[in-house]
Amino acid sequence: MSELNSFDLKECLTNSIANVFDTMLSMNVEFDGTCEECTTGNRIVGTVGFAGKVMGCINLHIGNRFAEIITASMLGMEIEEIESDEDIYDVIGELSNMIGGDLKSRLCDADLECQLSIPSTTAGSNFKIESKGWIKQERIAFISGEEKALAEVFIKISD
Amino acid sequence: MAVKILTVDDSKTIRMIVKKAFRPFDCKLFEAENGVEGLAAAAKEKPELIVLDITMPVMNGIEMLEKLKSMPDLKDIPVIMLTAESGKDNVMQIVKMGVKDYMVKPFKGEQLIERAEKLVKLEAKKAEDVAVDASSKFFSLQGDVQIMTMPVKINRQVNTQIEGFLKIKLQDIVKSGISKIILDLSKAEETNMALIKVIVQVLQVCQKVNLNIKIVGTEALSEGLKGFAETSDIKITFSLDEAKAAF
Repeated sequence: MSELNSFDLKECLTNSIANVFDTMLSMNVEFDGTCEECTTGNRIVGTVGFAGKVMGCINLHIGNRFAEIITASMLGMEIEEIESDEDIYDVIGELSNMIGGDLKSRLCDADLECQLSIPSTTAGSNFKIESKGWIKQERIAFISGEEKALAEVFIKISD
Repeated sequence: MAVKILTVDDSKTIRMIVKKAFRPFDCKLFEAENGVEGLAAAAKEKPELIVLDITMPVMNGIEMLEKLKSMPDLKDIPVIMLTAESGKDNVMQIVKMGVKDYMVKPFKGEQLIERAEKLVKLEAKKAEDVAVDASSKFFSLQGDVQIMTMPVKINRQVNTQIEGFLKIKLQDIVKSGISKIILDLSKAEETNMALIKVIVQVLQVCQKVNLNIKIVGTEALSEGLKGFAETSDIKITFSLDEAKAAF
């Protein structure tokens, strides 16, 4: 429990997001509190879970337009060249995997061993993801250009 | 002789990033979505390098590597592991497995090439081959008709790209026995000088190499082209089926 209390979840998450966006997308991100509108409306949510000594998950809420921009940038193409929604889902899943992988590594290095799940994505407009019963959680909104997204992470010690 | 490289990853995104990284080099890329497919592809193609993800469904990268190392004819193929996890334990496990190198995601294509160059000899492709490679996104074959599909935005950059491969590509098409081509402009959102230049270029080269051409576009495009001296007489058809029937 003490390892989890001393674990700086917010710093870890912001560093991971900044690193992934810079390395894979050559995009600078700025962190901007939270973002209620990011969890409503048309969006894609990339999710990875981790389980072991600690359990939790990361959700990346990304609006459809931002998801297209990210996909085009990741694959080195124009938005018009994106072949299908599947490509967008795959990119958002992979982005979540990279951010989740980094967080998982930091947790393991802090003696909070866990395994990472394969990423999944949810797309639509009229849905809400509720997470309850966690010990620690962070919601961080980030902006790149005119687009805003939200990363949320929930974590607890396994029973 | 092109270097054979196998990329094994359940994510199409990562496979595309790996393929893109090796594109400037004389390489032949093979893809697999999991360890089972990866082993089959390795046995069939005998690649000179494998870029292998760890976390995959069906069979993960660690299981695939173990099996690969137990196969006498495949065990010496160098492997670069890809992992999203940089934790100490994970890295130690990878190193113990005898992989030649590993990369932690996120990574840049140049970093992958740097590591690959330590394991295989990569030679840059000729400029001509790079240009023809760049053409692949514009071309598709439908029966005996080659379709050249233009993007939504046609600008000077697209113009320059097309100039680089057009003649060689259309000559190759004729050599392969195809005599019909459709220039599909139906996605083009603006009738500008870059678009006019593309149409004129394609028509000229088609005439030179003896390709029978039809142009598909929207009614707005058809009207727009009438305003330019170079294209005022060009007949536009409004669907691919109509164009095919008109040959």
